[in-house]
Amino acid sequence: MNAYQRLMGTLTGQPVDRVPVLAVLGAYGGKLTNTGLPTLYRDPAAWLAGQQAAQESFGFDLVMSPFDYSAIAEAFGGTVTWFDDQPPNMKRPAVDNAQAALKLPLPDPARSGRLPAILASTRMLATQYKETVPIIGVVPGPAILPSLVIGLGPWMETILFDQPTARELLEHTGPFFVAWCNALLQAGADCLVVTEGMAAAEIAPRSLFAELALPHLRSTFAQVQGPKVMHQTGGSINHTLDLLPGLAGLAAVAIGSKDDLAQARTLAGPDLNLIGNLDNLSFSSLSADELYHKAMACLRSAAPAGHYILANAGADIALTTPPENLHALLAASSDYAAGKGCPA
Amino acid sequence: MALQDWSDRLLETMIVSDRMAAAAVIEQALETGIPPIQVISGILDPALIRLGHGWEEETLSLAQGFVAAKIAEDVMLRCIPETGDSPPTKGAVVIGNIEDDFHSLGRRIVTLFLTAAGWEVHDLGNDVPAERFIDTALAVGARVVAASAMMQTTALNIRNLRELIDARGLQQRIKLGVGGAVFNWRPELVAEVGGDGTARNAVGADELCTRLQAAAQAGG
Repeated sequence: MNAYQRLMGTLTGQPVDRVPVLAVLGAYGGKLTNTGLPTLYRDPAAWLAGQQAAQESFGFDLVMSPFDYSAIAEAFGGTVTWFDDQPPNMKRPAVDNAQAALKLPLPDPARSGRLPAILASTRMLATQYKETVPIIGVVPGPAILPSLVIGLGPWMETILFDQPTARELLEHTGPFFVAWCNALLQAGADCLVVTEGMAAAEIAPRSLFAELALPHLRSTFAQVQGPKVMHQTGGSINHTLDLLPGLAGLAAVAIGSKDDLAQARTLAGPDLNLIGNLDNLSFSSLSADELYHKAMACLRSAAPAGHYILANAGADIALTTPPENLHALLAASSDYAAGKGCPA
Repeated sequence: MALQDWSDRLLETMIVSDRMAAAAVIEQALETGIPPIQVISGILDPALIRLGHGWEEETLSLAQGFVAAKIAEDVMLRCIPETGDSPPTKGAVVIGNIEDDFHSLGRRIVTLFLTAAGWEVHDLGNDVPAERFIDTALAVGARVVAASAMMQTTALNIRNLRELIDARGLQQRIKLGVGGAVFNWRPELVAEVGGDGTARNAVGADELCTRLQAAAQAGG
């Protein structure tokens, strides 16, 4: 059974040889190939080499298209800061208020800034891995997307104190979200992870998510022609989890490291796939043995009900993470499948 | 109704992010004859302290914090003019996101809370070079500079500010507060960047600045 069969089998409730294991190794690919991150995130061939290295070194059940939201901010007209040890980040947004953002033209996935390079990376991954290793695209959620255009502070201010304008801006940016998702799928992504900050308890209360973000998710998800995973962007999502089933094409929800997996299963119902929920911060600070036991605890809690994928709960895994810690995750899944981690 | 009860009602509006209800609570309190300055000290301040506990326990969202800060600002704007004069300030503090850091939201919330708490806040915005923090602090007589950073990479730029304070021989005169999400995740970073102290949230910034200012004044 290859990684593609394993992941897709899990998502569709079919028997698999072991629980799939995902780890967000975007920048880590550059570490493995000794490629500077500014090159890694600009050059599709460098990105492919990084993903190949990650696949050969560890064999997790995914390869990823570039997880780089600064490219979207840049495509809208913002500026970017580049780092040697972490993915690039938005430096300045295109504009600093919602009214100005409403006048901005939407980026074209095929032409604007570095977006074509991300699509090229995805196509190269598809050529190499289609139907052998799942190709995962990562996109910002449609309700948090305006923060990449005007900045998080002004966006929070708009949604909290000027909801008509917030709705107008969501309507304005929604078509870009749909176009970008569909472009990634057409380039070869098998599934999209949608990191929706508005769904995280640390960002917005349930009421605000339900009132403002959820209707927009419903309308945009219905226009995206492929499976989607809702992700909590490093926060907690159990407080909104029960609202998510029924979203068009929703294949899974990535649970936060502070969320309780058992509670998540109750909230999600028996058929929705759950992904998670190892704490990113622990990857570089714990020993391989400690991480193995944390992974095994997740497996014991969530795997018996099926529809479960072991993964880190946040964004890119720190470059300081020792390789043996990453191997420990896969070892935990294999050992669990062999019955070594099952409860007596 | 006792001040504590008014404060409880205000806190409730903060938790449910209802700015209009908060304004109504304050109007009602003023109508009963509570002096504006007591609205700030006896109603707003205790609500903010309890809100801080909510942050400590991670039961509040960024949105709730943002609205609470706005409510605090509303209360200040409503009450300060009626005191007749500017309220006494606790002192001056210079705040900004360190060079290369553009995550302004936390800093803005801290600015609102420090202002509400009675500080004269000089907010320098994002991407502030070390020299500007120090030059501004000297110009306005601030004994505390507060540098904010969200990510580890940008947090390390605060070391430049520490080095410049030391190089100019100002370590006794100006104290360096640091803050931002990364310091909550990695508390050891406070010492690594040379910070004299940190606060886990916006409400705690008042206590931090009070402590640092006292230390600076004791140092000369």
